[in-house]
Amino acid sequence: MAEKVLKKEKVGEALKELSKFRLFAPSKSNGTILYKQIEDPSDACLDFGNTTVPAKKIVFPQTETLFRFMLGNPELKEKNVEEEGTTVVFGIRPCDARAMGIVDNLFSWDYQDPYYLKRRELTTLVGLACIQPPSINCFCTSVGGEPFSEENLDVLLVDLGEMYLFKAITEKGEKLKTTLGSQLDEAPSDAVKKSGELADKANVQIKRTIDTKGIPEKLPTLWENELWKRVSAACLGCGICTYLCPTCHCFDIQDEVEGAEGRRARMWDSCMFREYTLHASGHNPRPTRRERTRNRINHKYSYFPSKFQVIACVGCGRCINLCPVNIDILEILGQVVDA
Amino acid sequence: MKNPYIPYEVKIVDAWYETPGDRCIKTFKVTFSDEKIWDTWSHQPGQCAMVGIPGVGESMFCISSSPTEKGYLRFSIMKVGKNTSALHELEAGDTFFIRGPYGNTFPLEEWKGKDIVTIGGGIGQAPLRPVIQYIRDNRDDFGELTVIYGARTSADHCFKAEFEELNACGDACCHLSIDVQEENWPHFVGFVPALLMEVEPSPENAIAVTCGPPVMIKFVLENLEKLGFTPDQVYTTLENRMKCGIGKCGRCNAGNLYVCKDGPVFSYAQLKEVPEAFA
Amino acid sequence: MVDNAKLKDVAKEVISREDVRLLIGYRPGTYGFRARPAFVENSDQVDELIFSPACVSNLSSYLTLEEKTPLPRGVEPDLRKVAVMVKGCDSRALVQQLVEKAYDREHILVLGIPCRGVVDMAKVENRFPGVISGEIAMEGDNLVFSFDGKEETVPKEELLAEKCKRCRYPTPLISDLLLDDEVERFADDDYSDITAMEGKSTEEKWAFWEEQFSRCIRCYSCRNVCPMCYCEDCVLDRLKPVWARRSVDISENTVYHISRAYHLAGRCIQCGECERVCPVDIPLMLLNRKFYRDVEELYDYEPGIKVEEKPLLSTFSVDDKEDFIL
Repeated sequence: MAEKVLKKEKVGEALKELSKFRLFAPSKSNGTILYKQIEDPSDACLDFGNTTVPAKKIVFPQTETLFRFMLGNPELKEKNVEEEGTTVVFGIRPCDARAMGIVDNLFSWDYQDPYYLKRRELTTLVGLACIQPPSINCFCTSVGGEPFSEENLDVLLVDLGEMYLFKAITEKGEKLKTTLGSQLDEAPSDAVKKSGELADKANVQIKRTIDTKGIPEKLPTLWENELWKRVSAACLGCGICTYLCPTCHCFDIQDEVEGAEGRRARMWDSCMFREYTLHASGHNPRPTRRERTRNRINHKYSYFPSKFQVIACVGCGRCINLCPVNIDILEILGQVVDA
Repeated sequence: MKNPYIPYEVKIVDAWYETPGDRCIKTFKVTFSDEKIWDTWSHQPGQCAMVGIPGVGESMFCISSSPTEKGYLRFSIMKVGKNTSALHELEAGDTFFIRGPYGNTFPLEEWKGKDIVTIGGGIGQAPLRPVIQYIRDNRDDFGELTVIYGARTSADHCFKAEFEELNACGDACCHLSIDVQEENWPHFVGFVPALLMEVEPSPENAIAVTCGPPVMIKFVLENLEKLGFTPDQVYTTLENRMKCGIGKCGRCNAGNLYVCKDGPVFSYAQLKEVPEAFA
Repeated sequence: MVDNAKLKDVAKEVISREDVRLLIGYRPGTYGFRARPAFVENSDQVDELIFSPACVSNLSSYLTLEEKTPLPRGVEPDLRKVAVMVKGCDSRALVQQLVEKAYDREHILVLGIPCRGVVDMAKVENRFPGVISGEIAMEGDNLVFSFDGKEETVPKEELLAEKCKRCRYPTPLISDLLLDDEVERFADDDYSDITAMEGKSTEEKWAFWEEQFSRCIRCYSCRNVCPMCYCEDCVLDRLKPVWARRSVDISENTVYHISRAYHLAGRCIQCGECERVCPVDIPLMLLNRKFYRDVEELYDYEPGIKVEEKPLLSTFSVDDKEDFIL
């Protein structure tokens, strides 16, 4: 079947067409690139590295209602995710899409999480391949990803200069291709070849790497190793590394009441916060940032793989780029390897 | 498919205080407001439920009744925080909400034919109560039942009447203790681990189950080892802060185990491999 | 600029002292031009210490960040001093912490670094993208970047942190050892941006802050990095009663930021760390500087200047202005 392309001058048109759905695309706010629900195509910004907050927030919102109630009334009104309708994430980076696939394991093991899974079902992911790694701390190739990875994507766009190669990967992707119909054009004969060359080039531009083989097995043996004190010494205990991690999925549940109306809602939580494990009795099984840092790394590189056979890290580099005190997961993993 | 985050309403049939004080313990006997829920509800000793009030919150508690006690569930709850304080306000006729049952169970099937020793401290008797009750209701399936229990003072003892009844009917041999001597206290004075050594149960064809404060558990485990119990003969329950109860929210992990899903019941043999288990 | 060889010598001497248990300084970061906090416990570790315009962190925050766990029975607490390297701005945090009696003066040993400014790392990384490893030095009014075997010189004005362009106190206001010659004041805050903001209508101001606060993800990095936010139990974490809900929306985010700004009124010492660490670039110093200016104008008071000073909002004088009270 002939491949399609989306010419850059038609991107606006295409986004306009897609905005009949719940459409999210990267957008610039005060210099920060964040996913935004797009109504006006000119709000979208496809010339970006990666968004500060990963696309997980679209399928796993930072705060979401589980159900609503009236005080004293036993009726609990479940939030209906279906009402949100078809959602398109346009321009998601391959690492963030891979991350969703990883988090799917968690929300679908044993009990099915109806909110997350329904949203995933409603969502089509249109990826944008990384021609160049968005940051020097990208290390997707060390954890099973690639700048052009199609894993978990429905469509992959590849920037060929004047146009994007539009590669439908799944049924959802094919459907989107049909929706866009007239906005897409026949691909020039060399488009696929060119895309392949760009992929090869992108792979070798990843500068930082780590050999992760053996780390999941080794981590439990380093429980009391002095490295944990060293690597956590500067930690401020903020939520940046976890909130901005595309695979971190921890949440809190709180009830909120306004007058007689209330809701039970869940919101992102972070294992780097002291309150996260604090018992009502005052006892805290992870009393300092040393234990919390150790848990964060073990969770990603040992506990999660032991349960779901995949490392809960996609190498997007956000936790390194945005850590206020330069705590660097690659350095920590290096010390684990060397220990 | 049922949404696991939506709780069921239960009605309090009876409620009473087990112990007095700032951290008092209150027992609630409840049944589902919608009787039909009983058709799908099935729990085993060891399992837990999320208990709460919309507008206040939820917390995880063990179900302190045995499935052999038909028609109601029991929860014995210590007043420690926001949610438990609100629950303590409730009386017979009031309602609250539960979801569950969650977690694994004591492997009572495997324990059939063995002697069972329960070692509890304070509110830690709550998860042991369904074990004792289950054995009583299937008395011929098990060997001797030894119940060791202690609390700070005699007033802090939960389920007092039940211990008396257990001794009286001959279903079990109960040994009670308090930390400091009181007038007219006929039983042991000292900590639970010391009482255990006094009772000196035989490890032969036996299972020991212990629940209580972490420091008690630590010394009970040591003493059980001294008595010759092997780690796979010893069971305990873990407790961690929980929010979802269904293995999603992340916080209850001890090492690679989710206490809410993989636990709360663990053998000591299992926990020896988990560095965070007794943190 | 501070001579790094001398810095190491001093550090070695300090950490070898019997009454010092820890020295907090800077060491090279793991990538690019970054530097990061260093925690030195023995003299073998001093070789990694540096000071350069990349040393942006305010290390005084660590004095109150340390989490203490209960000691095993019979173990005495280690009461020896913590030595800490501070720039002029950072030193004011120490002064203010002492004013508030966060700890005893004897608890700390201050290594003062007279400072001509540090960089805005975001600007640096924008200017030199993709650099795996490099160093920054200051020569006169220029910043010199060495990387990949070459050197590039940039006028410091272009890449300096905004706070440094407004710096009133380049030389530490408290120190036990000064690591270099004093630096004269070379800048001041003209508050032009604050004045511009004050000139806007209420609707315009609200629209501006609504957009800013809507980005907040409540990671609390601004609070945690703040040397003056050292309450053990922050009111904004409390669940009983709830002052700020944990849900993230414009209303709760606004409560969070406004509360924090008020709690810092008369206490914020202008280190700018909150704004530096914000992952979504909320201009928090606009809020803090508005209060700073108000406090200065109303009470002729600057926090973090003199250890003997009383905390502004815990004292009362009959001359205090009250015409703004409704």
